[in-house]
Amino acid sequence: MSFLELKDVDVSFGPPTNRVDILKDINLSVEENEFVAVIGFSGSGKSTLMNLLSGLQLPVKGESSFKGKAIKEPGPELGMMFQNYSLLPWLSVGDNVKLAINRVFPTLTKAEVHEKMLHYVKMVKLDHAVDKKPHELSGGMRQRASLSRTLSLDPEVLLLDEPLSALDALTRSELQDQILNIWENDKRTVVMITNDVDEAVLMADRIVPLTMGPGATLSKGFVVNMPRPRDRHTLNDEPEFMRLKSEITAFMLGLNKESKELKSDVKVTMPDVQPRDFSLPIATPRFSHLQSKHISPKKK
Amino acid sequence: MVLNFVTMKKIKYSLLKTIDITGLTFLDPVVRLCYGEEPQVQLKKIGQWIIVPLIAVFVALFVIYDGFIVDTFKTKSGKLPTSSKIYSSYQAIDQLHDDELAKEKAYNLSGEEREVELKAVEEKISSVAKALELAGQAVASQQEVTKASIASKVAPIQAEYEALKESIKVAATARAEELELFSQSMTPGDESAAEKLLELVRADDAQDTLDREKRNLIKEKISVTLGEKSLDLEEIKAEETYFSERLAFLKTYKTLLSTENKSLIIDEKKGRISAYEQELTTLTGADALKKAKSIVKQESVISKKEESEYAGSKTIWYQVKRSVLCVFTGFFLGSFLAIPIGIFCGLNKTFMAMMTPFIAIFKPVSPIVWLPIILILVMGAFPNPDKHPFMEFLGELPLIGVYKINPAFIASAITVALCSLWATMANTALGVASIDKDHMNVARVLKLGFFARLFKIIIPSSLPLIFAGLRISLGVGWMVLIAAELLSSSEGIGKFVFDEFNNGGSDSLAKMVVVVFIVGIIGLILDRIMVIFQRLVSFEGAPATI
Repeated sequence: MSFLELKDVDVSFGPPTNRVDILKDINLSVEENEFVAVIGFSGSGKSTLMNLLSGLQLPVKGESSFKGKAIKEPGPELGMMFQNYSLLPWLSVGDNVKLAINRVFPTLTKAEVHEKMLHYVKMVKLDHAVDKKPHELSGGMRQRASLSRTLSLDPEVLLLDEPLSALDALTRSELQDQILNIWENDKRTVVMITNDVDEAVLMADRIVPLTMGPGATLSKGFVVNMPRPRDRHTLNDEPEFMRLKSEITAFMLGLNKESKELKSDVKVTMPDVQPRDFSLPIATPRFSHLQSKHISPKKK
Repeated sequence: MVLNFVTMKKIKYSLLKTIDITGLTFLDPVVRLCYGEEPQVQLKKIGQWIIVPLIAVFVALFVIYDGFIVDTFKTKSGKLPTSSKIYSSYQAIDQLHDDELAKEKAYNLSGEEREVELKAVEEKISSVAKALELAGQAVASQQEVTKASIASKVAPIQAEYEALKESIKVAATARAEELELFSQSMTPGDESAAEKLLELVRADDAQDTLDREKRNLIKEKISVTLGEKSLDLEEIKAEETYFSERLAFLKTYKTLLSTENKSLIIDEKKGRISAYEQELTTLTGADALKKAKSIVKQESVISKKEESEYAGSKTIWYQVKRSVLCVFTGFFLGSFLAIPIGIFCGLNKTFMAMMTPFIAIFKPVSPIVWLPIILILVMGAFPNPDKHPFMEFLGELPLIGVYKINPAFIASAITVALCSLWATMANTALGVASIDKDHMNVARVLKLGFFARLFKIIIPSSLPLIFAGLRISLGVGWMVLIAAELLSSSEGIGKFVFDEFNNGGSDSLAKMVVVVFIVGIIGLILDRIMVIFQRLVSFEGAPATI
């Protein structure tokens, strides 16, 4: 029995007569202290998968279990970090984190709670913005605040639902390092959802692709056998990285093609329409010198 | 110097922020202009948001209203009041308030202060009396002048009238004679002659009617001329009225300083008691008992008098304060019901379905229907309000005790509550029902209990909408209250209007128009207060106001 497990899980929506399968025959087992990345296209049901793991949603068929017990409801031990931050906008960053701490450690005094809050906020380097409201923060800072709140729950499993998808490249790599750093210093189980192959290879121990929906399922995973810490600067030169990356990318692209073929049962015959020619008449003397000007630089 | 600049900037931004929160955005360009920020843009904005509205008010009030409307409409008690008359009625209402305050002070004055004040008042009375006499003389002489001028105007018309009357009489007699002659010259059986006579009589009748109309026309002209009012006379008369009113006030003021003064009356009673006590020592038997009883009676009278307060008439500002107290009482009462019910409606669809018929049916009911029902219920609950312990408790409360809460007040407040709570209820339900699902997921992950969920997530998240509802409720409540007070004759602005309506004095209409402005301005202030609260509880991405 593994640490966190999904066994033959189905999730579907809608009335019985018109059911839409979101996930089908999902099997996933995550070992303790393992870093698993789930990779998939948008709309394939990644967030639903995360909701299953966190207990926010229960499977229609099959079972989800954590430490051998069925997951019946969400709880702080399954620390979920939401895709759209989910910070409470009327509370400051500090108060958002304190709300979580107060919940998980109800016996602490006010001063202790404050100290603990500062510890978690410092962990994501947000200590300068403790008293700021979420709307005063940038997207990356909100994401970090959300991460800090999730960490403050002291969860046994960290469930990260596309934590970095809304960030620009620079902030993204910074936050990747932070997450890795936290994970390495303070080992715990992580399941992360992403749509970025590089990110998955850089961070995870194992990468599990999710096939295209509807009725998406997890296919066989790729184990990342690369030593840690992984340096993002030299990574590109490592043959193992290149191999994994191309393999996964090829697999994902194949999925895409497959699903397209699946969907292309109904063929629509397109009308034979030719584009009209709107190009300028070259013979007009007024434009001729302009055109020559555009083309000429190569000759210089 | 640099520090100064920084503080100036700080002041500027805090000013601009205050303006933004209070919604007084028209002040924004003024502040910016004071700091020399893009003067041309700011001047344009000032023109648009301050000058243009002022011009609109000016035009509406002094050009359209004073110029056209006042002359066009006539009421039973004369023309509509002009804007200057409305303003002077406002001053009169305000003066009445000051007078009442002065009277109350006079009633409670004692010792040397009282004597000094009494002397001052006597001097004032004599000077005002003199002024009144002068004004009276001026009125008399002006009346003579007016009379003469009117008489001179009427005389030619009267002469014309007499002449017309005479000529009509002559003509009528002539026609009568003619008819007489014709009728006698008729031979029986002559059909054409009979017809001719009939025609002549008809013509005579028509002529009579015509003449009568002519006469009435001139008569009316005479009565209009007689009824013409001289503006000078009006002015002098107003002055006379003013002085006579002042004199009446000063006279009451004087009695309150002398014969009706609290300390004087008490002193007098005390003197009587000491006299009685001396007499008592010389008496025995039934006489002594009687004396002792009357001493005790006097003592109780004194203690009552010492507690007594000046009982004057209620002035507008007292009524305004009582109305505001009443609207807030009703508003809090309504909100106290509406917010919890709204929260449960938002949380539970079944509960919402349960409440829907009640909301749908009671929401459109007019305050005019609620009030009599509530009044009967409240009166039933307090059959003897003066002796009821709850009413006595309210009467002894600090700050509120002055406003003498009675069943009419409570009924008005409950009516306000019943009419205003719907907006809050609907908005609260909407706010709770439309909580961001992510926020609820956070609550689930944190495993928050019901109350923690309620106070940490649900209420903070729906506060902006709740306050939007409260704002609407307070506005509705203020409108409803005036009607409720008018109906229940609970002391307040509504009662003031109704009293003026029943008075039917020459300035009643003007006073009611003053009330229109007072009610409007207070309503505006209440609304602004709620806007500030609403802004303070709002957060980024809060659900929009409805």
